Amino acid sequence: MVGPFAGFKWLALFANWKVFAEGFLTTLLASSLSLCLALVLGIIFGVLGSTHFKFPKAINRVYVEFIQNTPLVIQVFFLFNGLPHMGIMLPVLAVGVLGVGIYHGAYIAEVIRAGIQSIHRGQMEAALSQGFNYVGAMRYIILPQAARVVLPPLANQAVNLIKNTSVMALIAGGDLMYRADSWSSETLHYGPTYVVVGLLYLSLCFPLANLVRYLEKRAEVSA
Amino acid sequence: MKKVSLIGLVLLLMLSLVLVGCSSTPATTQSKEPADLKAIKDRGVLKVGVKIDVPKFGYKDPKTNQIDGFEIDLARAIAKKILGDEKKIDLQAVTAKTRGPLLDSGEIDLVAATFTITEERKQTYNFSDPYFVDYVGLLVKKDAKIAGLKDLNGKKIGVAQSATSKKAIQEAADKLGIKVEFLEFATYPEIKAALDSGRVQCFSVDKSILFGYLDDSTVILPDNFTSQNYGLASKKGNDALAKLINDTVNEMKSNGELDKLITKWGLK
Repeated sequence: MVGPFAGFKWLALFANWKVFAEGFLTTLLASSLSLCLALVLGIIFGVLGSTHFKFPKAINRVYVEFIQNTPLVIQVFFLFNGLPHMGIMLPVLAVGVLGVGIYHGAYIAEVIRAGIQSIHRGQMEAALSQGFNYVGAMRYIILPQAARVVLPPLANQAVNLIKNTSVMALIAGGDLMYRADSWSSETLHYGPTYVVVGLLYLSLCFPLANLVRYLEKRAEVSA
Repeated sequence: MKKVSLIGLVLLLMLSLVLVGCSSTPATTQSKEPADLKAIKDRGVLKVGVKIDVPKFGYKDPKTNQIDGFEIDLARAIAKKILGDEKKIDLQAVTAKTRGPLLDSGEIDLVAATFTITEERKQTYNFSDPYFVDYVGLLVKKDAKIAGLKDLNGKKIGVAQSATSKKAIQEAADKLGIKVEFLEFATYPEIKAALDSGRVQCFSVDKSILFGYLDDSTVILPDNFTSQNYGLASKKGNDALAKLINDTVNEMKSNGELDKLITKWGLK
């Protein structure tokens, strides 16, 4: 009787630790790059969505609704296999970063929009009456206040983003999940593989999740 | 005279080995039937994991919703052996990724899904003797002007996860002194999509599987790489089942039924 967690499978796994180390680094790289992209997109589109002008608002709606209401898997699959038919061949890491970054950008845009709208209207009016233009009022008055409100949900998005980089496994992205699928299906040692890989994702996400809790606590105290 | 006694001695030795072998098997097998076979009989149905995306081996026809193929016929033969009725099978679609876990959890009794036998895999599952030998092949775009493996230097090759084709092609490439890169995908349609979009320049899995993906724009190269022996896999511990499966495969081999099935499905 050989169970899924037999001892020799663990030994084989640790002998091949480099496979997983490479995947871990790729996941780390893809996560940090797509987090940067998602933050930039989220802030731009979040601010657009919170204005009272129709056109920027419409742009925000199209982006957010389109991205939020289609599966990430399809978006990434399109970037990987669809774009080459139009003559655009992006490297696989770029596909992962763009796919996950754009996807979470939409969610972050909603978080930011809600944050900005939670700041009382009077703040903007007061800033404008003090001679700030709209961008200045946003930059110096509204966003710093909104930041405190949005930090916890933002960190939550970061946790989700890290986990969602595993979508790269579908497109041979070389990330942690891809290495796990590849190695475990070749050797059939799936038991230890997914336990170890799960723990590696946990080691990335758990500190962030703790940060969320800390930020939430701090926001409660100061509010 | 001496020769005869020598042969006698050898025979005696073999007999004793057989006896030792018998005595080491659990006593329960003599009194009643083994638990693994009994469980299947009590259930009244044999649960088999098969492919549904490999034409001729295991393929679900979208028009009729029926799963059919060479491996399904094999599974029926096993069911007939155990339950006396070849219709008493419960087919479940498996992929390279799910067949192992499904066996371990007992969701399925056996896997008949183009499962290549390797030494490493034998440590984890019971495999029958091979029922089919296939070769790793290469499918490329017609207009790519690729005539053989050596033209794939510096190119990307799409392979299936868990497939042994990666190792086979790598060894052949090393011999030729060329460099190739492998991209692994979970399913065959994904590899085909990657070939069509130009993400990979070559689709490499077992030839019998490749034939299902041949179309007007693609061609299968004549090269054959390392032979792939397909075996029926069952869970370690269900050793009576494994023996019965193996006996059935060998019986079908010797009485020509296996060849008949291979001809029936046009696999030779």
